[in-house]
Amino acid sequence: MSYQRNYYSSRRQQQWNRNQNTVAFVSAVKLGPVAHTVLIALMITVLGLIYLTQATRATGYDYQAQKIDDKIADLSTKKADLEVENARLTALETVQNSTVARTMTPPTSTDYVRE
Amino acid sequence: MKLDLQTGSRSRILAILILFIMAIFVVRLFYLQIIEHGKYVAMANSEQLKRLTIPATRGEIYAMDGTTPVKLVLNQTVYTVFADPHVATDDAKIIDTIRRVAGGNAQPNLDGLLKNKDSRYEILAKGVTRAQAEMIKKENLSGVGFQAQSQRVYPEGQLASQVLGFVNNDGVGQYGVEGALNDQLKGTDGLLQSVTDVNNVPLTIGNKNIDKPAVNGQNIALTIDRNIQSYTEQALAAGLKRTGATNGSVLVMDPQTGKVLAMANLPTYDPSHYGDVQDAADYLNDTVSVPYEAGSVIKSLTVATGIDKGVITPQSTYDNKGTIDVDGTTIQNASLTEVLGTQTMQTALTWSLNTGMVTVAERLGDGSNITKQARDTIYHYFHDEFGFGQLTGIELAGESPGNIISPDDPDGGAVRYSNMVFGQGMDVTMIQTASAFSSLLDGGVYHYPTVVEGTVGGDDSLTEAAPKPTKQVIKKTTADQVRQMLVIDRHDNGASDTPGYTIGGKTGTSQALINGKYVFNQTTGSYLGFGGDDTPRYVIMVQVSGKNMALGGAADAGPIFTDISNWMLSYLKLAPKAQ
Repeated sequence: MSYQRNYYSSRRQQQWNRNQNTVAFVSAVKLGPVAHTVLIALMITVLGLIYLTQATRATGYDYQAQKIDDKIADLSTKKADLEVENARLTALETVQNSTVARTMTPPTSTDYVRE
Repeated sequence: MKLDLQTGSRSRILAILILFIMAIFVVRLFYLQIIEHGKYVAMANSEQLKRLTIPATRGEIYAMDGTTPVKLVLNQTVYTVFADPHVATDDAKIIDTIRRVAGGNAQPNLDGLLKNKDSRYEILAKGVTRAQAEMIKKENLSGVGFQAQSQRVYPEGQLASQVLGFVNNDGVGQYGVEGALNDQLKGTDGLLQSVTDVNNVPLTIGNKNIDKPAVNGQNIALTIDRNIQSYTEQALAAGLKRTGATNGSVLVMDPQTGKVLAMANLPTYDPSHYGDVQDAADYLNDTVSVPYEAGSVIKSLTVATGIDKGVITPQSTYDNKGTIDVDGTTIQNASLTEVLGTQTMQTALTWSLNTGMVTVAERLGDGSNITKQARDTIYHYFHDEFGFGQLTGIELAGESPGNIISPDDPDGGAVRYSNMVFGQGMDVTMIQTASAFSSLLDGGVYHYPTVVEGTVGGDDSLTEAAPKPTKQVIKKTTADQVRQMLVIDRHDNGASDTPGYTIGGKTGTSQALINGKYVFNQTTGSYLGFGGDDTPRYVIMVQVSGKNMALGGAADAGPIFTDISNWMLSYLKLAPKAQ
């Protein structure tokens, strides 16, 4: 006598659910533990290289920023020098001793306009 | 598979040895990385992390040119050129370049400095400008370096030096505005903490970077008008030359606002070479720092007190005998023979009669004595209302409160107060006196004096400072009467004013107190007056003195007032009244 034993399995225990394909793709390529290790090592290396590239690029920006800062400082110094020169040229003593001022004569009389 | 090593086999010994070595490594690494973690992080940070101070730029100081701010104190970057004689190779080229480019800024013994090969740092030149530094850099001198530093520059030279003060080598403001407003001017230094490369270039690596920008100091505009200041200094110098006086001060202010327009003192100094000053007293702004017995210029305030309390009017009379007795002490006039008999208070002011002022003091009491009530009243007006013996709060370092003796003090008796009413027996500063005098010209309103017009933005735009508080110190009617009395005083004393304007003033000649006694052979001359059209536009106070010199208010200080006053009328473009 033979009989067939029926096993009940709940939907939760099944590998598939309603409206879900029950066909699973299984790759024909089989990777062994060595290949996995090499792949992980490669991924880490690539990530490391990406990190190094970004870090180097950021440092490059630092040098550019420093150059711009230096240029700003230099231009600020030049601006300050020009302001000092301007202040000296327009100082009262300089104006009073200028050739234009020396040729001026005091007014002989002053009149006021009355409204 | 289980590795089973035989006891005592070489493999087992090797395995134990390796395990032992590994254990040493683990323990050592645990010690270094866990226990000593903080120490090594600190060491690494000290090597990699740099903390750089970003210096704040000190605020500049402006004066006014009419209504336009003009720069009076600026900052300039200058360089100190140094050499490392150990590294320097071409000494001859270095010496030639430094002498040719730096000129007077080069050190005298360059050859000796460079020959000192044991030294690693020798200063070759100081105060080298940016252009000069660029020229030296172009020569590519090995072993030569530059240190940049900011220094104050004064394009107007010595103008208003005692108002400005200076900044010492530590970057701290001393005297004047630099000292009083140092916190406002200096700003706040910033901080840059960052990993740097070997050239100290900050890198954005790590998570401990800090970039806190510097907050620059505020640019401050003074109420000082550079044209009035310049003319005042010239007039004072000419006045001292004419009289032979060695010391003098002039204060010009606007009685309608309390703004100081000029403050001049002689002797003075050059703030760009402040270290060359022989006498530290030259740093002082005498108008605010040196109290003195101002003499008869105070009589205008005594008269104001009497009128305000209703005990006199300009036409009130008294009997002038040339002298008056106060508690057994004789107070006398400068002249014992002139204007004797019944005189008005106007005459007492015009002729500067001490007896008239003592009479006012007596009338503030019981009419014939300077009672405690009289002294309390005088003290109230002089101290509480006119501000003698108190700081005015002007924004200048080293202000002195002066000294006025309270009637509650054992020294504050009738004789003391009989002297105070004609300006002796109390020490006041010129700024106190001129501010009190100004209240007589603005309807009895006292304006606290100021030298700060406001702040200046990056685009040279002026933001005016909030006005200082005012107080009513005497009635408007009192102020108007005293103002008119001062005009009559000046007119009757034959002043040579430009006609068509309202000019008034009062002289003062005070004896010096030497070894506790007043002497006649050393007197200080003062003049305190005002001018303008229908409205008083300016107050000028002049003081001249000299050791063993008898200088008078009318003869020596008065002409300086007249000179400045007549010029001010033109400068302010005031139209004269129709004649």
